[in-house]
Amino acid sequence: MKHLKILTLIMAALVLSACASGPKISYGDATSVETTTTGFGSTDLQTIAATLVDDLVSFPPIVQMTAQRRPVVFVDKIKNKTTEHIDTESITDTVQTKLLKSGKFRFVDMTAVRAIQEQMNFQMDSGMVDPAKAVAFGKQTGAEFMLYGNMSSIVKRNSSTKDVYYKFTLKLVNLESGIMEWAGEKEIRKTGEKSFFSL
Amino acid sequence: MNTLQKKALPLVLGSLILGGCAVNETATVKVDGDTKEQILESNSGFLSASLEIADTKVGYAGDLMKAQVTLKNSSRSDLSFRYKFKWLDKDDFEIAIDGRPWTPLTITAYESKSVQAIAPNPTAKSFRIMVQD
Repeated sequence: MKHLKILTLIMAALVLSACASGPKISYGDATSVETTTTGFGSTDLQTIAATLVDDLVSFPPIVQMTAQRRPVVFVDKIKNKTTEHIDTESITDTVQTKLLKSGKFRFVDMTAVRAIQEQMNFQMDSGMVDPAKAVAFGKQTGAEFMLYGNMSSIVKRNSSTKDVYYKFTLKLVNLESGIMEWAGEKEIRKTGEKSFFSL
Repeated sequence: MNTLQKKALPLVLGSLILGGCAVNETATVKVDGDTKEQILESNSGFLSASLEIADTKVGYAGDLMKAQVTLKNSSRSDLSFRYKFKWLDKDDFEIAIDGRPWTPLTITAYESKSVQAIAPNPTAKSFRIMVQD
């Protein structure tokens, strides 16, 4: 009987230590599947970026075009047509980083134009920088392509279920010819059901 | 407390530990360049019982490695799980750690589904797929 009590205590301690509840801070896997709500989440962002980058770098004309050179691209804003507030720049940032790391494309960062200009003005006009070592105006490379897109959603709900459909479209356009060289789409469907207890 | 209760109590507590904090299962398939080698690892019965890695294919999109894995649900019920690709260079160093997310996937009974991924850069020489329930 004494052994049983000890065993029970050990098992209870294991339960409590292994599955402790209550306020606890911990680090999680940033790439794990996140299903807290049906709203746009980290898994959606990562999935969209991974799918579209895979699609772009494996599209045969793009493979051919990037075989010998690394075209320069600029990223325009993604139009958020959903009913949610979504930081679409965060999606394009991830797409841009992945494309840059693939070694297939180079980018001009239009979000840093002002800072670059200020730095160049400082180098030219402040009198503090050796003119021989100052970067020259008018030497920057112009982008050959523009990456832009749309994000839309359809939300439907009834008394117990909420269905959210997201569609993210990304397009690559040749700035000179206006020809769309590539377009990719990623659809996501999320369904949330109210549990019995939350009704 | 009778004998049955004495026996049942540790069992109930044991099942609470296992049920409350289920251990994730991981399976690995490794394909190395010319010599395709598959290493199936499973630290529990999930893969062997219900999910099967039916086929793996390797190709190239330009100089980027392309992988396809066909997963088969051999059970009578729908299977929902998540998978993740990992890419390795010629020395087996992982490239772009956490570059790809765990992706949720559902396969209906007795159905096969293929999942694909493109290497993050041309240094990738092999890949792994991890499956977690």
